[in-house]
Amino acid sequence: MDQVDFNAPHSMGTTIIGVTYNGGVVLGADSRTSTGVYVANRASDKITKLTDNVYVCRSGSAADSQVVSDYVRYFLHQHTRIQLGQPATVKVAANLVRLLAYNNKNNLQTGLIVGGWDKYEGGQIYGVPLGGTIVQQPFAIGGSGSSYLYGFFDQAWKEGMTQDEAEELVKKAVSLAIARDGASGGVVRTVIINSEGVTRNFYPGDQLPIWHDELESHNSLLDILGAPEPMNI
Amino acid sequence: MSRGSGGGYDRHITIFSPEGRLFQVEYAFKAVKSAGNTSIGVRGKDSVCVVTQKKVPDKLLDQTSVTHLFPITKYLGLLATGITADARTLVQQARNEAAEYRFRYGYEMPVDVLSKWIADKSQVYTQHASMRPLGVVSMVLGIDDEYGPQLYKCDPAGHYFGHKAASAGLKDQEAINFLEKRMKNDPSFTYAETVQTAISALQSVLQEDFKATEIEVGVVQMDNPEFRVLSTEEVDEHLTSISERD
Repeated sequence: MDQVDFNAPHSMGTTIIGVTYNGGVVLGADSRTSTGVYVANRASDKITKLTDNVYVCRSGSAADSQVVSDYVRYFLHQHTRIQLGQPATVKVAANLVRLLAYNNKNNLQTGLIVGGWDKYEGGQIYGVPLGGTIVQQPFAIGGSGSSYLYGFFDQAWKEGMTQDEAEELVKKAVSLAIARDGASGGVVRTVIINSEGVTRNFYPGDQLPIWHDELESHNSLLDILGAPEPMNI
Repeated sequence: MSRGSGGGYDRHITIFSPEGRLFQVEYAFKAVKSAGNTSIGVRGKDSVCVVTQKKVPDKLLDQTSVTHLFPITKYLGLLATGITADARTLVQQARNEAAEYRFRYGYEMPVDVLSKWIADKSQVYTQHASMRPLGVVSMVLGIDDEYGPQLYKCDPAGHYFGHKAASAGLKDQEAINFLEKRMKNDPSFTYAETVQTAISALQSVLQEDFKATEIEVGVVQMDNPEFRVLSTEEVDEHLTSISERD
């Protein structure tokens, strides 16, 4: 059995999703950060704020995606505060992400989904996969878990959903990916961004639907049997 | 010996006069007054308020583009008194510095750190022949994580101090006299009292009753630490309270 290397670079495996709906966007992600087969963080927050109205879903190398987000947040802050005097647009945020991803493509391994709302174009989702392409999409999926979702979205996606429909779709999709992808797991986090602001939601394992061969979750047997007494040496 | 205009020392700021004065620095202070504005800052128990006149001399000027009150970050504000052009470059540099600080260290630049940075930069100008001091007195305000509401004043000489109340500009001395009387017993002003003390100080010193559009008011509060400029409606409410009280 391989030794677990706790000092190996942390990867986020991951399932990340961003969808537009009639009024804004819903971003969703799982919460597993793995180092090899060890789960370094089972409750990570992969949906990161860039500005009040633009968030980014991170996948791939944890370090690379964090540092890209940090730089973009810094540049956007200067752009907004120093030059513009008003909130940045989603397009600008996505372009800054793309420039960093493209210009450093040999040193980065991170796929990102930028989503937000601005007063000019409303809700928008931009995918910035490995290599630094930028593509605006009505919905985007990314991370290792997304492989299992292409067919699902082909069938389940529709234009002009309501906020609740969109969030249900995202929750269901992440939970399906978690069921099949070993590198995705933990809880489902969603972030809804629209003209009124930002709402963060959290769905622990027991609130997610059970798929056909999954077991129900239940409390640890230690709770039922009673914890053993500590030894007195 | 009479040295009316300071003899030859006016031109070289690296040189002290025989009396130990730096004339360029003194002239910078005069430049601040020459702009003709007066500004006031007051620190309360859980808020800080700064206020200045909004003089728009030319009818053709767009009023919304005239301001002396600048957000540096979401949480820090800066009120600049003196030469507007100098103020703008200072604000630009301060914004860059605060943004870089947040990026590099992972937390927001505190009020006193920014004030120290501004003051240290100003001091450098007093030692270089190639650069003149800026004709600006800056009042920096914000809520500090540990110390609560903070008001700092930085001047062209490179001084910076924290203040319970401060003034700058043409009628700064009269303003200080008024504020000293008002704050004699070390009062703990509420948010409303803080704002109204600042505004009434300005009104008393300039001996005129303002309309809401003639002054700019900036605040930070413990329960809303983001720096914000009050709207005309909010300023009006405070002006009404002041006149009802009197």
